[in-house]
Amino acid sequence: MPAFRDTILAMLHGDPVDRLPFFHWWRHSQIGWAERAARNRGMGLCWQRPPHTTTLHNVTRTEVHDPAQRPGLHRVIYTTPLGSVYQDEKREPGVGHWHGLRSWRDVTPWQMTRLIKEEADYAVVQYIVEHTEYRPDYFPIEQAQEWLGEDGVVVAALPHSPLQMLMIDWVGSEGGRFYIHHARYREKVDALYEALVKNYASLYEIAARSPADVVLFGDNLDGVLVNPRLFQRYFIPPYEACAAAVHDHGKYLAVHMDGRLNALNALIAQTPIDVIEAIHPPPMGDLAIRDALARWPRKVLWMGYPGSVYTLGPQAVRAHALQLLRSVLPGDRLAIAMSTENLVSNANLLMLTAILENAHLPLTPEGIDGIEQHVADLAG
Amino acid sequence: MEHTYVLWVLPMSTPEILEDLKNDIVSLDFDRVVRDAHRAVDAGIDPLRAIVEGMAAGMDVVGEKFERGEYFLSDLVVAGAVMKEGLAIITPHLTEGWARRLGTVVMATVEGDYHDIGKNIVTTLLLARGFEVIDLGTDVPTATIVDAVRQQAPHIVGLSALITVTMPKMGEVIAALADAGLRDRVKVIVGGTPVTDDFATAIGADHRAADAVEGVAQCVAWMTPLRER
Repeated sequence: MPAFRDTILAMLHGDPVDRLPFFHWWRHSQIGWAERAARNRGMGLCWQRPPHTTTLHNVTRTEVHDPAQRPGLHRVIYTTPLGSVYQDEKREPGVGHWHGLRSWRDVTPWQMTRLIKEEADYAVVQYIVEHTEYRPDYFPIEQAQEWLGEDGVVVAALPHSPLQMLMIDWVGSEGGRFYIHHARYREKVDALYEALVKNYASLYEIAARSPADVVLFGDNLDGVLVNPRLFQRYFIPPYEACAAAVHDHGKYLAVHMDGRLNALNALIAQTPIDVIEAIHPPPMGDLAIRDALARWPRKVLWMGYPGSVYTLGPQAVRAHALQLLRSVLPGDRLAIAMSTENLVSNANLLMLTAILENAHLPLTPEGIDGIEQHVADLAG
Repeated sequence: MEHTYVLWVLPMSTPEILEDLKNDIVSLDFDRVVRDAHRAVDAGIDPLRAIVEGMAAGMDVVGEKFERGEYFLSDLVVAGAVMKEGLAIITPHLTEGWARRLGTVVMATVEGDYHDIGKNIVTTLLLARGFEVIDLGTDVPTATIVDAVRQQAPHIVGLSALITVTMPKMGEVIAALADAGLRDRVKVIVGGTPVTDDFATAIGADHRAADAVEGVAQCVAWMTPLRER
C-alpha cells in the first residue's frame, strides 16, 4: 500500500493514484483504538501548523481573567499610542489542555465582544496591523513532519485572509455588524483591509519558503456570507498574491471553503487556488462534489465529510458515502477528510473507514458494489 | 444683465414620502431614511402607514430581490439596519404596538451556540411582515425557551443552530415543549446551515427554513387563513 503522503502529494502533482486518499485532521481526531484501527487501514493524518511567529511593536497586549466575577471569560486588551481595544473570549472547559484552543467538545473560544465595536476602533486596529511583524519559525512544521513521516501531510497554516480577519475575527457578524460597518464606514473598512493586504505580503513569502508542501488559508468561506461582490473585490486579490509566492516555490495553495459555494463557483474557478479544502457536499453545502469537480477542472478537492450525516448515525453514513462514491466516478482529484468541523464518533469513523479503505481508483460501479457487499458482510 | 431666481420648495405629498421611505430601504440608505422618517412625522402621516406602506413595503422588495438573486444576505442585513434607523424615529409616535397584527414568534439560538446573523435577519423580516417577535437571543437554555412559550403564548417558535454539536438542542427544546404540554400550541420552525429536512423531521419540527425569506414566508402562511392566501 503506497504511503498516504505519497498518494496525496501525487494527486496534487497531477500524477495517477491508485486509491482515494482519506484522512483525519489531527485537531479533529480522537486519539484511541478506533483512530488507530482507521489509520492501520489507510487513513492518513493531516496537521496544520504555523510557519511564523508574530511580534507586535509598540503595542501592549494584556489578558485579564477574573474567574470569580466572570467565569470562563477572558479579556484581551491591546494598548497603542492611538488608544486601546479589547475583546472578550468565552473559553469552554478543555481549552489549552488538548487541541490547543479547542475545548473538550472541539469548540474554539467564542468571541463575546470584538476588537472593533465602533468606528473609532478601526484606527487602533489599523495601527496594530501596521506594527505587526511576521518572522519565519519552521520548527512546528519540521517537528510535525518528523513525527508523521509518510503517514501524513503538514500544512502551513496562515491566519484568515484580510477581509475574513474583519468578518470573522475583528468585527464579527453578530447583529450583522460587519455588513453594517461595510455599508456605513466603507473608507475605514477599506483602509484596514489594505493595511492587512500590505502586511501579509511578507507572510506569504514566509509560508512559501517553509518546509510544508501546502499553504492553507483557513478562511471558512461561505458564498452566502461572502457574496460574489465581496469575493471578487476582497478575496481574489490576496489569493492571487499568496498563490504567486507559493507557486514560485513549487508549493500548493489551499483555502478552507466549508460553506455554501454554489454562488461563488464561477469566481472560484478563476482563482489560482490549487486545493478547495473542506468543501461540504449537500446536505450541508449546496454544491455536489461531482459538480464541483466538473466546474473546477484544475483543482483538487479535499472534501470535508458532512457532520450532519454523522448526526444520523453509521447507517446513514454508509448510505451517504456509497452514494457519494457513485456520484464521482472515476474519483480523480478527490480526497476525503473525515471531518473538518467536529469530533467523529468511533462508530461513524469506522463505518466511513470501512468504505473508503476499499475505494480503489479508478472507481467503477462494480467496485462500489463490492464495497457495499464488503460493508454488509461486516455488519452480518 | 442680472437674473433673479426664486426657488419654490413644494411640500411633498404623503404618497411621495411613503415612496421615498420604501426606496430608502431598497437602496440601503441610512442617511435618507432618517431624513424621510422625519419628513413623515413632520407631515403628520399616520405612523403605522409610514411603517407598513413605506419601510415594510421596502423590506418586501428587498426580500423579493433576495429571492431573485439580485440582493445578497448582506443586503438583507443592511436593509434591516436601515429600517431600524427609520423605526427609531417613527415608533415613538405610534399609539399602540404595530407589530402584532399577524402573530407572535419566540426566536432563539439554542444553548451553546452564539451565532445570530440568521436569527436576526428572520427577526427583522418577521417584524416587517407584522409579527411581534420575542427575541431571546443566543445561547438560550431550553428551560428559558419553554418558560417564554408558557408565559408569552406565541404562535410560533423559531430555533436556530449553526454548528452540528448544538443541533441536538433543537430536539431537546421540542421534547421539553411536549413534556410541558405546550407542543400542540405552537408551530416550531428550525433553521441554520447544518440543519436538514431529515434532521428537522427526526426531531419533530414542523418546518425547516431553507433560508430567512422562505422561513418567514412559511410563518406568514401558517398565520394566514386559507381564504386570505
